[in-house]
Amino acid sequence: MDAHWPRPPAATRRTVLVLCAALLAAAGCTDPDRPAPAPKAGLRAFRYSMDQAPTSLDPTQAANVYANTVILNVYDTLYAYQYLARPYALKPNLAAGFPDVSADGLTYRIRLKPGVHFIDDPCFPGGRGREVVAEDFVYSLKRQFDPANQPQGAWFWSGRIAGLDEWKAAGANYDQPVEGLRALDRHTLEIRLTRPYPQLVDTLTSGYSAIVPREAAEFYGPRLGVRPVGSGPFRLVSYDTSRVVLDRNPGFRQEPVDLAAEGFNPATQAHTGVAAIAGRSPPFVDRLEIDFIPEASAAWTSFTKGDEIQFTALPVEQADRVLASREPVALLPEYADRFHFAAGSEAGFVFTSFNMDFPEFGYHPDPERQRRNRALRCAIIKAYDWKANNASWYFGLARVFPGIIVPASPEFDPTLDAGSVTRDVEGARRLLADHGWTAENLPVLTVGATAGVTSRLYFEQFRAWLGEIGYPPEKIVRKTYANFGNLSRAWKRSELPLVSKGWGLDYPDAENTLQLFYGPNSSPGSNDANYRNPAYDALYEQTSVMLPSPERTARYRQMNQMVIDDCVAITGLSRTRIYLWHRDVIAVPDREIVGGFWLKFVDLVPQAGAPGG
Amino acid sequence: MPIAQYALRKLLAGIPLVIGVTLVSFALMVYFGPDRTYELLGKNPTEEQIAEVRSQLGYDRPFAERYAGFLREVVTFDFGYAATGEPVATLLARTVPVSLLLILPGFVLGHLVSLGLALLAAYWRGRVADRLIMALATVGMSVSFVIVMIGFQIVFGSSDWLGWFPVRGWSTDSVGEYLRYIAVPTLATMFVAIGYDTRFYRALVAEEMTRDHVRTARAYGIPEARIFTRNILKNCLIPVITRVMFSIPSVAVGGSLLIESYFGIPGVGRATYEAIITGDQPVLKAVVTLTAILFVLVVILNDILYRVVDPRVSLE
Repeated sequence: MDAHWPRPPAATRRTVLVLCAALLAAAGCTDPDRPAPAPKAGLRAFRYSMDQAPTSLDPTQAANVYANTVILNVYDTLYAYQYLARPYALKPNLAAGFPDVSADGLTYRIRLKPGVHFIDDPCFPGGRGREVVAEDFVYSLKRQFDPANQPQGAWFWSGRIAGLDEWKAAGANYDQPVEGLRALDRHTLEIRLTRPYPQLVDTLTSGYSAIVPREAAEFYGPRLGVRPVGSGPFRLVSYDTSRVVLDRNPGFRQEPVDLAAEGFNPATQAHTGVAAIAGRSPPFVDRLEIDFIPEASAAWTSFTKGDEIQFTALPVEQADRVLASREPVALLPEYADRFHFAAGSEAGFVFTSFNMDFPEFGYHPDPERQRRNRALRCAIIKAYDWKANNASWYFGLARVFPGIIVPASPEFDPTLDAGSVTRDVEGARRLLADHGWTAENLPVLTVGATAGVTSRLYFEQFRAWLGEIGYPPEKIVRKTYANFGNLSRAWKRSELPLVSKGWGLDYPDAENTLQLFYGPNSSPGSNDANYRNPAYDALYEQTSVMLPSPERTARYRQMNQMVIDDCVAITGLSRTRIYLWHRDVIAVPDREIVGGFWLKFVDLVPQAGAPGG
Repeated sequence: MPIAQYALRKLLAGIPLVIGVTLVSFALMVYFGPDRTYELLGKNPTEEQIAEVRSQLGYDRPFAERYAGFLREVVTFDFGYAATGEPVATLLARTVPVSLLLILPGFVLGHLVSLGLALLAAYWRGRVADRLIMALATVGMSVSFVIVMIGFQIVFGSSDWLGWFPVRGWSTDSVGEYLRYIAVPTLATMFVAIGYDTRFYRALVAEEMTRDHVRTARAYGIPEARIFTRNILKNCLIPVITRVMFSIPSVAVGGSLLIESYFGIPGVGRATYEAIITGDQPVLKAVVTLTAILFVLVVILNDILYRVVDPRVSLE
């Protein structure tokens, strides 16, 4: 060896080795904040995937399907949706039965199942999980009203449960009682409402209502977001930006599956093999791994490899390669041999609202101008090419429908006139001309978007459609925002004349989308359109206390027609979701309402030679 | 103790640098960064809730007060909690080792292979080997990193192709598992890095080979291998050290966002990216501070290494 390149001294070599070992150890430790070890041989693991990671696992942050998918598997809720019933149907979960509701619809009494325990955790005395009691639910709902938690779920119950808003205003002291939220005894809960709330039980299926023990919230503080302590079917092993690993909660209550009570439909679901879980108590897999894969290409390669993720949504760019037909959806034989699939409309929609607070397009003090503005909005709606939109962005798989009651709602009207989603360039031109709109006097239309190629393409497409009805291109302006948070701020501050959004149903009831146009919900609330129609608001208030009935449905549809007639929104489109999963997985997947409530029922086909196989 | 004195002097001189970096970064975060308020609000917020969240995030406090708080955090290295609820210190302790383990093999091997190829190319300058190596380097530089990653993932991971390695994931349960998971990311990193590094190193070596002292050494009949190691390679070390050393902070703290994202690796690069797009200021503040401190340390170490390889360099 050349004298200029001496061998490092032994001490240096030892140091390097020790550093490498320490690095490996640091990256490989297995406490709940660390990556999980690979499943041991014989461990039955299901590898699910989502395109995004949840921001936090604290139920106060259960704002989307990603968070709910994990939260609902580590925590318990009082109610849940039946695994297999479609349309969705409720069932008791931690509750012993459906609530006893008073005749005036204002008081709900709910019995909790006795003998259910939280998982063992250092937050409890002696580290042993204690029994879940009614007071835990009271505490958990109060957390949604404590500003210190930056909760996102209060809107479900604000103004509905007697005394909760006052409790918050008085300083959110957990030792202070709430008039309308009480534990009558260890297993009985009473909720008193300020007015009837037909969707109350639906809200008790969501991650927001998940039951958190006070000991855990106080012991972990903000760390509760990464250290969930619940009584759900799984317990957390690890959680990071790329995946979450959950292990079966060995103490989870024994509740054999009654397929009929879960809404099993042999005609449509037997092929999935789901009948095999009848009479057995979930969860059926030892480990649930959820990979967060934003890149569709990586998800697809991993899914098709065979020994990695076992579930994926079909990336739209793979549709041509995988599908034999789109209507109805069918896989090519080489894929059908390897994978199960399910296709259906999302429980939600994408739509674009006009901001009625912009006098150039919406409300105007001059009634004549207001009439002309309506004509302008209607013309823009007529110019919008839903067919091209569907073909360009959703591979023609999405479902376009008129109005704001989405196909996944029980109140959806498939016979509604499709005029508002049918392109009519001549009609639009005529409408503009009849109301005195010319290229010179048309107002500048600013379209807000996040920076990016896709949003640019979308904008250019929209501008081209409007160009065809005589809207000068220079009057359609794109305003970019660095990220969605800033765009969202502009919408909430009512700074843009158009608001393009996607909305996922929180519960299967059209009220959830109709409230998007309810006057008192105006910005910064969910009514980004700032639509204020007294007749609409009166109907909304009437229906908001009505139980499901043909009469309520008729009024819902009346409200839907008002939004269409007033040309308040370019709406709507429900994306078609196509899910694929490996043939050795027994499941009927669903990520629409709430998300993740079905994962505890997933089972794996026993392998020859494996334990139990 | 000239080296210790020098290091101490440089450390003190680095304090204004850290303050400057934190000030500029914080101003960017505050005035141009994402507003987290609207990510934290429910679907139907009220003005009162918006004010509450802004207050919780400290957005309603004056800039100077917020920056003073940041400096306190820098001194105590306690940046509070990330948006997930995880303490930032824990997050860094969890993710930085992962990124190091991910990037180091590609980083080290990439530089070594590049240097080797550069030496060969420079030695056979203008000949077929040189042209071939430079052509390959140009290919490595020209192909998008994303395309390389997707291509390697498919070729090495997909069951339709070789299927030798996992498509994505991470494990350090054993050395074997670790090697299995880093193989494809390392190959992808090397493929791209070698393009840039080889061209850079070849230019250095080629230039050095034309120096007068090299020509003189050859005239004296000194063996070529000795000239290469003693007269050429040694003189190239300073720019090599500079290039390698100044890559370290971004490797250690920045990780590799794209690799971590495509290969599902829970490193600091992906955590930083998530923090940037969501406006998770505690994480961003910690990463900025850590990077600034590492740069100060790297500058010091860099100067000391200059002195080690070239005794003519003064640390005065």
